[in-house]
Amino acid sequence: MAKLCGLFLSVFAALHATPAQTPSGRDVVSPTAYSSLDPVARGANFELAVVLKIRNGFHVNAREASEDYLIPTELRVEAPAGFKAGAVFYPKGELRTFTFSKKPLNVYQDTVILRVPVTSLANAPLGAQHIPLKLRYQACSQEICLPPVTLNVDAAVNIAASAKSSRPVRPELFPKQ
Amino acid sequence: MKKAVMVIVAVIGLIGGTYLADRATRVRHRLPAQEMNSSIGKPAPDLTLKDLDGRDVSLAQYKGKVVLVNFWATWCDPCRGEIPELIELQQKYSARGFTVLGLAMDDEGRSVVAPFVQKERFDVKGSQVLMNYPILIGDDAAAAKFGGLFGYPTTIVISRDAKQVTRIAGAISYERISKIIESQL
Repeated sequence: MAKLCGLFLSVFAALHATPAQTPSGRDVVSPTAYSSLDPVARGANFELAVVLKIRNGFHVNAREASEDYLIPTELRVEAPAGFKAGAVFYPKGELRTFTFSKKPLNVYQDTVILRVPVTSLANAPLGAQHIPLKLRYQACSQEICLPPVTLNVDAAVNIAASAKSSRPVRPELFPKQ
Repeated sequence: MKKAVMVIVAVIGLIGGTYLADRATRVRHRLPAQEMNSSIGKPAPDLTLKDLDGRDVSLAQYKGKVVLVNFWATWCDPCRGEIPELIELQQKYSARGFTVLGLAMDDEGRSVVAPFVQKERFDVKGSQVLMNYPILIGDDAAAAKFGGLFGYPTTIVISRDAKQVTRIAGAISYERISKIIESQL
């Protein structure tokens, strides 16, 4: 009987859950950074992948925004001493039509992966290190646009003195390894 | 025991049916914008902002007029999309004691808003026209005074006696907003 009551309450709660309200711009994209090697040897080239999980029902402008006035998605790497970062690779967006726009817009939706090549220099500090990144984007739903936001993203990397124990990791994020 | 199970199943079915019927018939899901009526009847906030020439402009100066406050930004596509309709509303109703008041929310403020307003032309009934209503430089404090915003565009209509009449999050419907304005003039 207790189980049945629990089931009843769960179903009641699920059916009457409040519809999702418009979130803050900061809550539309959830970015997580991953390294292609673990550990990363001093002097090695590796990649960081920043996986953007975009809230359902929202989109952000792609790097190549459809109009000059739209705010494109941008990732900046603030490489600390001992690291050197290359140019960020942005995927192509998807052309989508929205109720508010006469023309299709080039946007990112769902999950998007940005990649950036990084070199661990010979003087890179050993052990657990952090490479700070800044992600700027501007999100809209079908109805409303949210102010642009900049999120701090932390890429954790483990630096080793030699390449002996260095292994490629997360092949699903780094297909060229 | 069997009876209890049947009762619970019946109640779940009833609640589920009600929920699905409610979802299927909600008008809100078919509208392009959300009309937020929680602020209806509340007084317009005491607000002073700079115009594009750097002069202070207070909302109180417009008391006696019907004011359509439109929060927008130059980077906001749906905001740009409704500017022709706002221009048209200004053309149609300004002689009857109405004004649109655009509150530009760009972080860069006047440096990007002023060139936009001075140069950008919009197609209104086949004519290419400039924005014809006052633009003020908005900020988060202004938005907070209106109870905070979900996003842009957000439109608030204020009555002649400085009460908030309606609030729309998302692009306006010209027909709907015209009816609201006319009901206040």
